[in-house]
Amino acid sequence: MRSLAGWIAAAIMLSAVAFFLGGYYNDVYRKLLLWIALALGYNFLFGISGQVAFSHFAFYGIGAYAVVIFLFHVGLPLPLALILGIVVCALIALAVAIPSTRLEGFYLALATLALAQLFIVVLNEGGTITGGTGGIVDYRLPPIFGLRIVGPWYTVVIVVLVLATYAVLWRLDRSWFGRACRAVRDNPEAAAAMGVNVARTKVIAFTLTSVLAGIAGMAYAFVDNTVNPPIFGLENAFLLLFMVIIGGAGRHAGAIVGAVALYLLPFVLSPLIGHHHALVFGVLMVAAILIQPRGLIGIYDRLRRP
Amino acid sequence: MRDFLELSISAAASGCIYGLIALAYLLMIRPTGIINFAVGEWAMVGAFGGFLLLGRIELPYPVGMAAVLGIMLLVGWATERIAVRPLVERGAPLLAPILALLGMLVVFRESISLGFGPDPHQVPEPFGFEHQKTYMIVATLIVFAGVWLFFERTTTGKAFEAVSLNRKAAALMGINLPQVTAFSFAGGAGIAGLAGLLVAPNISAHYLMGVPLAIQGFTALVIGGVGRVEGALLGGLLLAFAEQLTVRYAPLPAGYAQGVPLLLLMLFLLVRPTGLLRARA
Repeated sequence: MRSLAGWIAAAIMLSAVAFFLGGYYNDVYRKLLLWIALALGYNFLFGISGQVAFSHFAFYGIGAYAVVIFLFHVGLPLPLALILGIVVCALIALAVAIPSTRLEGFYLALATLALAQLFIVVLNEGGTITGGTGGIVDYRLPPIFGLRIVGPWYTVVIVVLVLATYAVLWRLDRSWFGRACRAVRDNPEAAAAMGVNVARTKVIAFTLTSVLAGIAGMAYAFVDNTVNPPIFGLENAFLLLFMVIIGGAGRHAGAIVGAVALYLLPFVLSPLIGHHHALVFGVLMVAAILIQPRGLIGIYDRLRRP
Repeated sequence: MRDFLELSISAAASGCIYGLIALAYLLMIRPTGIINFAVGEWAMVGAFGGFLLLGRIELPYPVGMAAVLGIMLLVGWATERIAVRPLVERGAPLLAPILALLGMLVVFRESISLGFGPDPHQVPEPFGFEHQKTYMIVATLIVFAGVWLFFERTTTGKAFEAVSLNRKAAALMGINLPQVTAFSFAGGAGIAGLAGLLVAPNISAHYLMGVPLAIQGFTALVIGGVGRVEGALLGGLLLAFAEQLTVRYAPLPAGYAQGVPLLLLMLFLLVRPTGLLRARA
């Protein structure tokens, strides 16, 4: 998508779909869109910057909880709550990224895995602030300029959010920063020799994508109008990694294909194997790495150019 | 004082488990550079092996334990065959087997959840409840002594060290790299499975027990340093004491003990990334 008209056309088409869907399918559609936003961000972090992190989904949760807590426990107006939510995500991301990206290897993976575990503990033990194991329920998106955004119109908000996420990451990928990220992923020593500040590039990529995940989480908070600890567990952090790898890491289209495929797969599989679709995801993940490292999008490329 | 003594024994027992998991990581990282997050799931498989063979079939403890160890060696070897060897032979980047092992982690966990259901299962202890912690400590010390002797005193152990120092040179000297890799995975799985079997009577075999163990074990490894076998045990003990003292004396809900590994991990990454014990030159 190279022109503004293209982006607007995409926004209108994706939004129009929402008005033809009923309540249930609107819900499915919104969550699918949010998964696409998460996968795009995670693809930038993992596929393009080469950082293995398990905190992306936790930041989705941090964003969701932060906006709800700021709005309904602290009583701030919506714009302020959104800005403070972003600030919280950015500060936590910096606190994790600065120490762990100083070293090579997989310390970031471990630090973020521990962060994701700790986040769930904090949610469960947080008392009245986080609502404990039951989470926070019974709230509504406050009116914006006197308007209540409900039904398909909220789906439109999410469509705009997904496209904005895509636009930011797409622009960034094509800028010097995107090239620096790829250089750091492929060969940190060579990148440093070329004048790229390796540690700073990693920290910026981690913080930026974590904040994007947090913003998606803020939108999610008003999809179900409830936030609780099980939603933000480690299962989904793994699922996100699997989506990007099975779809094709390092490609925006791959992230989108992977998110759509793995989000819709349980709907197909659950009549056959019940709740054990994660087993299928694990097998697909191993198979993808062994047989098709370029993912589903790599298969598509091969079919198109025989 | 008595209270503190009890806390010390309990921390030492947990520390031994973390140390064993750290040792399992270390066995695989040293020769291959591969961080295998599935060690936690291996511990879980070991715990369920204990439940099945000792709890349900009621084999005598030594027989059951030997059987669990045998199964774990096989599991480790098979994991290496499926998820590591094809990638190493193809010359894929180091990240590829690590990600494939993450996929295996989910496969292990979901298979166990499919086979045994989501409820925790009791695993019997060999010498009764009151001696379980002593037994955990003694068994761990025996394993560590064995691994230490293996690296220091046997030719195969020296070969492992040679591979971890320089893969190419070791291969030129006639060391069989695939064999070393297979051994390190089988050994890692054996030790992780043993850790699961030892810890299972205290926390019950549960399909979600793996990831916390994987985090604690890795934190122990970072604290102790990947260079030396003793480092794994030292790191495990330090982490366990830090956790238990936090729970006992800090005015925080018990769940926050899970935050201790994260804080220690961050602290060590910032202050002493090589760990407490440096590798010998």
